[in-house]
Amino acid sequence: MISVQNLSKKFGELVVLKDINAQIKQGEVISIIGPSGTGKSTFLRCLNLLEVPSGGNIIIDGNDILAKDANVPKLRQKMGMVFQSFNLYAHLSVLDNLTLGPVKLLGKSKTEAEAKAAELLKMVGLLDKRDSFPDELSGGQKQRVAIARCLAMEPEIILFDEPTSALDPTMVSEVLAVIRRLAKEGMTMAIVTHEMDFARDVSNRVFYMDEGLIYEEGTPDQIFDNPQKEKTRAFINRIRSFSFKIESPDYDLYSMNAEIEAFCEKHVLPRKMRHNALLLVEELLALYDLQQSQVELTLAYSEKQDRLELVLESTGEAFNPLDSGNAPDEIGLNIIAGLSENVEYYRLEEQNHLSLTIKIQ
Amino acid sequence: MNITKTVVDNTVTLTLVGRLDTVTSTMLSTELDIVFAGGNPNLIFNLKELDYISSAGLRVFLTAQKKVKASGNEMKITGANESVKEIFEVTGFAGIMNIE
Repeated sequence: MISVQNLSKKFGELVVLKDINAQIKQGEVISIIGPSGTGKSTFLRCLNLLEVPSGGNIIIDGNDILAKDANVPKLRQKMGMVFQSFNLYAHLSVLDNLTLGPVKLLGKSKTEAEAKAAELLKMVGLLDKRDSFPDELSGGQKQRVAIARCLAMEPEIILFDEPTSALDPTMVSEVLAVIRRLAKEGMTMAIVTHEMDFARDVSNRVFYMDEGLIYEEGTPDQIFDNPQKEKTRAFINRIRSFSFKIESPDYDLYSMNAEIEAFCEKHVLPRKMRHNALLLVEELLALYDLQQSQVELTLAYSEKQDRLELVLESTGEAFNPLDSGNAPDEIGLNIIAGLSENVEYYRLEEQNHLSLTIKIQ
Repeated sequence: MNITKTVVDNTVTLTLVGRLDTVTSTMLSTELDIVFAGGNPNLIFNLKELDYISSAGLRVFLTAQKKVKASGNEMKITGANESVKEIFEVTGFAGIMNIE
């Protein structure tokens, strides 16, 4: 239905979309997730030419909408868009908001448009608000009207740009319920959302966007349970990390500890986890020959799993600090073994990697 | 870390406050050198206000215990909090030292 090839978008020198390639098939529900500022909304806005792409092709049912001779208004009619901020006409009643487009652009009669509008308002649970004005509605009601207005134009696909971001938490579910219903009825949709549970439930496929690309895509199970790429994993598991480089044996232990403590405090980690992190860092660093190699340590906290991972990457010869021959005695190794689990060592690209999970029990 | 020393008869009590780690263990080592230079007393470490101990600190205790035992005296550790006790447990020190 929609094929996007090598789509790019720049704002001046700022490259927002680098090279987007995607297919959206009829009846699919695609959720687009990712950190803020990674081009999710820009991608949607490029699809219906609210932003003019800097390069690439967007092919809808075999027609390239970026071709010079493309009938853009006609192609655009196939796509409805629902915005974060509703974009209803404040001076028109709910009913008039729904009938304006069909009468002016689709050439429907007023009676016909009103009948369809009433049907759609009933579907979104707002028929009794047909004569109200947008200012008289709650945020959730406004967004449901916006969805009904979009449907009134009989689109083949609806693009949702963060449809619940501007809503109070109490109003999110009423809007999501309407979108779920559309999904069940087979409407093709692309939804930019931060509602992860919703994205997981409602989608056939999920696009994770980062670095101006569709960084990873897959089924909800693949993306949410088994993401393959590092940034996807960090985003899905809501991982926050902190890194510190040790470049000399005379490194400042207390300055490093202060930064670790600040990181732990910022993420409200339990006292015990904080204590064990400090101790493991000290014990592990004591095993390295810091004259010969530099060590970068990273603490990565997964909010979702409530888990703190410690990773040490070192330069130099192959070296697993936990091999007992590398330690002066067993005392430090016993502390490390007692306070950590899931210990893993591997060597990759001339670097030693040691990772472990910090126990809190 | 702060170290306070009290002497009663032939028993020296060292009260440790703060962190006993790679950096501060040398302070304790130096203090113990002074203690042993003055004789061979019984030794008590009061850890009531010790928040943190690493292997560097444990090694100092181990060395001290060897010296105390060699002269036929006793060494005792008192007042350790839960975190410090856990480290004594995981390292096996709980089995080889007199910890109250």
